[in-house]
Amino acid sequence: MARVLFSRPSHDVTLSYLFYYSRELVDLSEELGYKTINKEKEEANRKIITNLIQKQNPNLIMFNGHGGDAFVCGHKNEIIISSKENPEILINSITYSLSCSSASILGHEAVKKGAKCFIGYEFDFAFGKDPDSEAVPKRDRIAKLFLEPSNLLFKSILKGKTIKDSITKAKQKMKENIWYLSTTDSFPEASYYAPFLFGNYSGLIALGDESSSIKTN
Amino acid sequence: MIKEEIDLKELKKEIAIERLRQAPPNIKISFGAGDGKFLNRDELIEQVEKDTEIGQKIVKIQLEYLKAFKRGLLTPE
Repeated sequence: MARVLFSRPSHDVTLSYLFYYSRELVDLSEELGYKTINKEKEEANRKIITNLIQKQNPNLIMFNGHGGDAFVCGHKNEIIISSKENPEILINSITYSLSCSSASILGHEAVKKGAKCFIGYEFDFAFGKDPDSEAVPKRDRIAKLFLEPSNLLFKSILKGKTIKDSITKAKQKMKENIWYLSTTDSFPEASYYAPFLFGNYSGLIALGDESSSIKTN
Repeated sequence: MIKEEIDLKELKKEIAIERLRQAPPNIKISFGAGDGKFLNRDELIEQVEKDTEIGQKIVKIQLEYLKAFKRGLLTPE
């Protein structure tokens, strides 16, 4: 049985959106019968997550969190994995890092040290927020356009598609949403969000074995 | 040569700022701020004007987006 690990901090508004959107991914992972290890809020810390990776050897890992070129963080921005300290713990795993720019250095280093595949963003991951939503993710029609493609990517991986196919699907959805934001008359501010979603589209990348899938891993 | 490069950088900043100025003031973007704070229009402009790391990234994506849009790369298939 494949093992899937989620790290889901939620200590600020940005992360509360990622937290909300990734709930359905945790549920899907359970429905599909994977051993699903969901560490959220204060449990999404370095000690717990790195211990779980080393002991459980998850086939698939999803990190939500703030990040940088060389690292990804958990609860209260504690660094969980960094390119200088512990990239080797991702050995043999497929990782999706939903965080800013961690594919640019950490991803390469992890693959060099044996990670099967590292999916992430070369630039900052951006998303817009509907000012009328009062920061309630489920009411937010703007955030949905940014975060649904990311969910589509991870759902596709959970369903056994290859990383390459999953990335293609997510990028296609991003492109549709960029076009929608660029051309819709539904709300006046739409086109100003489009460049930021374009940044996500350009930055999304898979490093390592793109032909791998949760079934082959 | 150096002067031309400086001018080009300033021109790109001006284009990005002009585009952002046309946006409603209440747009909110989470973009690279480690504290998870959303930036509104004026804060985005301020980042560009002050030439911060975030500001430079804003300029880059604004310009890349405009290029892609002009070249028809974003048109649905």
